[in-house]
Amino acid sequence: MNTQALPRPDEGFTARLGMWVFLASEVMFFGGIFVAYGYGRSHWPQGFAEAGRHTHVAIGTLNTALLLTSSAIVAFAAACARHPPARRWTARLLWLTASLGMAFVALKGVEYAKEWHEQLVPGAGFALATPGAQLFYMLYFFATGLHALHLAIGIGLVGALAWGSGRRRAWADGEAVEMSALYWHFVDIVWIFLYPLIYLLGRHA
Amino acid sequence: MSDSEFRRHGLRLLAAWAALIVLMLLSLGSAWLPLGLGNVVLGVAIAATKAGIVAALFMGLAREPALLRLVGGFALGTLLLLIGLSGIDYATRPAAPAAYQGSTR
Repeated sequence: MNTQALPRPDEGFTARLGMWVFLASEVMFFGGIFVAYGYGRSHWPQGFAEAGRHTHVAIGTLNTALLLTSSAIVAFAAACARHPPARRWTARLLWLTASLGMAFVALKGVEYAKEWHEQLVPGAGFALATPGAQLFYMLYFFATGLHALHLAIGIGLVGALAWGSGRRRAWADGEAVEMSALYWHFVDIVWIFLYPLIYLLGRHA
Repeated sequence: MSDSEFRRHGLRLLAAWAALIVLMLLSLGSAWLPLGLGNVVLGVAIAATKAGIVAALFMGLAREPALLRLVGGFALGTLLLLIGLSGIDYATRPAAPAAYQGSTR
């Protein structure tokens, strides 16, 4: 068979394919949480609506804006890494991305602290009596905690690449930046779905 | 990538970011409209549109070879299939909450 005649995939294709397959497995990982949420919300609609009204929508919205902006910046960083005249911007944009990620985690910490004081952490003395409200907050802490863990890994990856890219290390090349950016976007997409399901239910009641 | 292509790509990313922020604000505003079930449908539909923009433009799926788009589509298809199958079970089984869970309504 003449393999020369077959079209050759472009540079970095195998790495991107591997990353997409990994992200596909992550979709299944987070999928279970969304199924659990759908079950809870359809079985305890009042409890979920009341719990949703007690979430901090201003912090949630600000965090959504931070994450969407960080995603746009890391996408631009990946483009700069592949375009030699703009390569010097890569490290700065990656630092900015990691900083926005850290701001997200800090705001999430403020939100968790508020919820602790408002007795919204499931367990003895939970503030809301409506059945299902406690289940909502169990799912809320599990989902947002798992998301924050993924974001922390992303901050580590992007921060390391920002450091390496600024020092022109060979391992911090365009391909590595592109792979980390794909992961960052995935974490952003998970939050995009968590945002309306956590913060926007039961608001008009 | 030529200079003009790079500039065009940058502008596309900027437009995508602006669209994402507008959609986020739309989603936020729609939560206060009394639409009943429509609230969650609208919220998820806007989220799906935002995810589509991120996947197509930020993750570059729009310009990737078919194999990569297939991987993304396959993941989405499998997820929806599993959600659907789980839904059949939970929607048809009578709910029997434990005492600490309280009644379901």
